[in-house]
Amino acid sequence: MSDPGAQRLEADNLCVNRGGKSVLEDLSFSVASREVYALLGGNGAGKSTTLLVFLGFLPVARGEARVSGKTASAHPNEVRRCAAYLPESVSLYPHLTARENLDYFLKLAGIAPQATAVESALDRVGLQSSVRDMRMGSFSKGMRQKVAIALALLRDTEILLLDEPTSGLDPRGIDEFHGLIRGLSDAGKTVLMVTHDVYGACQVADRIGLLRDRKLVAEFEAPSGGRIDTETVHRAFGGGSL
Amino acid sequence: MALWAGGVLAALLITTSLVTVARMDAERQARLDHQQGAEDAFTSQPDRHPHRMVHYGHYLFRLPSPLTAMEPGVDPVTGQAIFLEGHRQNTAAGSEANRSAFLGDLSWPSPALLYQFFVPLLLILLGYAAVVRERENRTLVALMSQGVGGGRIMSGKGLALGAAAALSLLPALVIGGRAVLMGEAWSAVASMLAVYMGYLVLWCVLVLCISSWARTRGAALTSLLALWLVVTLVIPGIAVHWAATTSPSPGKISTDFAMQAELRTMGDGHNASDPAFAAFRDRVLSQYDVDEIEELPVNWRGLVAEHSEAKLTELMNRYAEQRMTQEEAQARAVGLFGWLSPYLAIGNASRTLSGADLATHHRFLREAERVRFDFVQSLNRAHAEQMAYADDINRSRDAAAERRTRISADNWKVLETFEFEPAPAAERIERALPAVAMLALWLAAAAAASVIAARRLGLQ
Amino acid sequence: MSGSALPREFWLVLRDRAFVAWLLATLLLAGFAVWSGSREVGQQLELVHELTRADDEDRRTTFGQQSDWGSAAYYTFHFTHEPPSELAFAALGQRDSMPWKHRVRMLALEGQIYESDLSNPAIALLGRFDFAFFAALLLPVILIAGLIDLRAGERDAGRLELLEATAASAAALWRLRGGLRLLLICLAALLPLWIGGIVNGAGALPVLLASGVVLLHAAFWGLLAMTVGSRQQPAVVLLIGMIAAWLVFALVVPSTARVAIDRMVELPALADIALTQRETVNDAWDLPKEATMTRFVERYPEWEHSAEISRPFEWKWYYAFQQVGDQSVEEISEALRQGRRKRDRYAGWAALLSPPALVERTLQRLAGTDAVSLLEYEEKVRDFHRQLREFHYPRLFEDASFDPAGIDQLPRFDASAANAP
Repeated sequence: MSDPGAQRLEADNLCVNRGGKSVLEDLSFSVASREVYALLGGNGAGKSTTLLVFLGFLPVARGEARVSGKTASAHPNEVRRCAAYLPESVSLYPHLTARENLDYFLKLAGIAPQATAVESALDRVGLQSSVRDMRMGSFSKGMRQKVAIALALLRDTEILLLDEPTSGLDPRGIDEFHGLIRGLSDAGKTVLMVTHDVYGACQVADRIGLLRDRKLVAEFEAPSGGRIDTETVHRAFGGGSL
Repeated sequence: MALWAGGVLAALLITTSLVTVARMDAERQARLDHQQGAEDAFTSQPDRHPHRMVHYGHYLFRLPSPLTAMEPGVDPVTGQAIFLEGHRQNTAAGSEANRSAFLGDLSWPSPALLYQFFVPLLLILLGYAAVVRERENRTLVALMSQGVGGGRIMSGKGLALGAAAALSLLPALVIGGRAVLMGEAWSAVASMLAVYMGYLVLWCVLVLCISSWARTRGAALTSLLALWLVVTLVIPGIAVHWAATTSPSPGKISTDFAMQAELRTMGDGHNASDPAFAAFRDRVLSQYDVDEIEELPVNWRGLVAEHSEAKLTELMNRYAEQRMTQEEAQARAVGLFGWLSPYLAIGNASRTLSGADLATHHRFLREAERVRFDFVQSLNRAHAEQMAYADDINRSRDAAAERRTRISADNWKVLETFEFEPAPAAERIERALPAVAMLALWLAAAAAASVIAARRLGLQ
Repeated sequence: MSGSALPREFWLVLRDRAFVAWLLATLLLAGFAVWSGSREVGQQLELVHELTRADDEDRRTTFGQQSDWGSAAYYTFHFTHEPPSELAFAALGQRDSMPWKHRVRMLALEGQIYESDLSNPAIALLGRFDFAFFAALLLPVILIAGLIDLRAGERDAGRLELLEATAASAAALWRLRGGLRLLLICLAALLPLWIGGIVNGAGALPVLLASGVVLLHAAFWGLLAMTVGSRQQPAVVLLIGMIAAWLVFALVVPSTARVAIDRMVELPALADIALTQRETVNDAWDLPKEATMTRFVERYPEWEHSAEISRPFEWKWYYAFQQVGDQSVEEISEALRQGRRKRDRYAGWAALLSPPALVERTLQRLAGTDAVSLLEYEEKVRDFHRQLREFHYPRLFEDASFDPAGIDQLPRFDASAANAP
């Protein structure tokens, strides 16, 4: 891993328009290496848009989004190579099995899939081994989510961009997932996740950015060794969730 | 997007109608003029030997019927003129298809082709999403929960689509009205419009059925497009192949060989001393109660010409009928595929009703043959009755005898004025019934499917 | 990486049931088109064989019964035809609407050449489902349906961002997927053509040229579909747009051009040729024989010395007025042929605006079944008729005595000098 403390993800006065409407205004924040950053906000606050901008999917009206120092809109391929992305509602190929999907997407990322690595990744995300050779068309949202997380793990990128990663998981799954994220962070990964789950964000994030109505309105930082206080964030969030 | 496509198709329909009307009008006028010219040329010939007029011959032109402005049918692919002369049946020559520039199989649209081929495509684009959109947007459940039944949803959507179909028939209505003014029977025009309306309604119902069955818009559109391709291009292709291989029609040159072989046993009508006419001579001699042909009160050569023309015509007609039967069998074999493809059924019904089908072309050939036989035989009769045998046989040696064998030009008036008309409307309608029955069956099946589809909607 | 990309996508596309079904449908349709075309060519060859045999037999019978050259020429017919080429199975072309067989004799040719022994109009009207039709009109639709939703389909399924975020290069992924599908569809379309080529004994070159034409056409529609397909619109909107494009290229452009060309290049009416020719031939019976012979000798001065007709009927005078009948309509007949060629030439230019029309015309050209090839055939018949006349003129004008063995010296129509594209 490169030097700790360097900024992996940076948003500088980011302004983004979609379909003629402004969806992000003057967004600035940064995520340092090994940091877990949660972007918290309600529906339509611009959370998912932020992730898409970091992946170079959306043109930027003003400002800049950089990943490991590279401007996302100018170098989408480089950016995507060092960042794994977990979409909000995971759709993989329904006529392929979980293993086949992983095989395909890994090859797509330029990685030769190894059976043992795939198995252990699926173990880590907790997908029962009995369904691993079943077609994904019959999978629940949570099961699809787990396969996609396994893909992100297997890609072994320095950065993970996660869109509502816990939305399809049951309470136990969420707990396990939070443990997984912490583990990744300890292993040197940088994580940017967007969520509307205040409790979850406080559980796992080193820092939380509160996004409201296209703008970043507050940031919270965990005390060293401790967690961010859920109550504080919840009050700032306006009691919308929980 | 679909509206834009509708606009393009409307423009296409209107221009095609205008172009086809202008083209068929010009064709009609040109053929009328040529017909008149041919008749004038014939009747204005000077006094001469009647057999010369038998070989001078005459031309007949097939006039397109008024409804060909809607459906030109086989008119462009068949010869439109036929040369009539003694001892020969010629084919109809001069088809538009081999004169025009070839620019692909779809480069010669008529209103009929647009209605049969493209309006269904437009209906698909306009209507594929009608029901499935409500399902995808989850408004279907909302509608249902307010007590709107599946039947009402389907018929509402159907009315909207049917209105578009009816609107598209406006140009056809104008062409039909014009045809009535030009003398076409209103019953033929009304049947034609009804058949087209039925065909378009059929497509509306099919579109709605598939739209209500499909789970996604994409699936609805793809299956409708596949259905359209199969019905309009694939099945007709298979039908043509099937007909061409199972009921071959080898053509005129082939049958000519068999006919000529038979002909050689019959005697040449130009040669009155051909032994083939011995029996006929004996019969004529005994009929007039004389011993030698020179003693006959009529010209023996003319009698022979008349007799051999009659026998020859019988033979030629037998072969011509055989050819036409083969062609009809082929057309029927293609027509049977109308049970599988409403596109073929509407095509048959439309061509029959407009008087532009194979049977109408055959009617022209048969009428032409009747005209040919009549004028040749009345000239042969004049040949027998209006000159002496002695003059006739000496005319190449004796100038005075030759002059006496020239009969008055008044005899050329035997030619009747010819104006081809297709079969009467009632007959055409009757002939179109099998194709209409196929369409009706399709419509009934589609209606039943739509009722089931509406029930299914209600159950969800 | 790119080395493993192709097998990866190949593996994936083979698991796409809808696409595989589409591929099979392509194979079936192309296969049926080729099979049907081959059957038709087989029937035509069989017919030609049968007619050639019957014609030979008929000529031997009639010729043997004659006692002078004049009636021998009058009663013997000669079968001419344009045999279907090695590639005709792929494009039956104009053989349903333009004559490819004539049986002619020494009478005025203008009275014979417009006789057309065509196939059933009910069949000619519907048209043949041959490979050219498939490649020109159906292949575009197949390509559109198979390629348009490459990207939009993934977006509709919610996989687009994950795919593009995972792929090393999104653009390369779509290029690879599009190219692979395009290639597979082309293979399914061309495989029957190649098999048909082998079965019909076609040379490698014409089959390769035809394949090239199909590939270029497929590339046009494939690239168009992929370009349109990269727009940010739902798959159905893109599909409707492409169907509209198909309509414009396959129907609107060619039919507009056709109407324009037919208006621009007027053709003399066939009736005018026929009526004039008949008048001339019939008037000759009443005219002084010198009038006919003078016009004949203008064309054939070598027979001036025996152009005097003393008897009321002489065969050489009879054939002279047949010849003069043809001469009288030479100009207008030439104008008709030139006009048809001109229309075809213009259509060739106009086809550059319509890829489907261009493909159909090019395949028919390669197969020798286009209008020009059949007009060439008409020229060959005219040429043969000239040989026939020039064979008989010396015998008629020099009063040669009839020799039944002369049948072997009669000119024969050489159908094999045919259809070089």
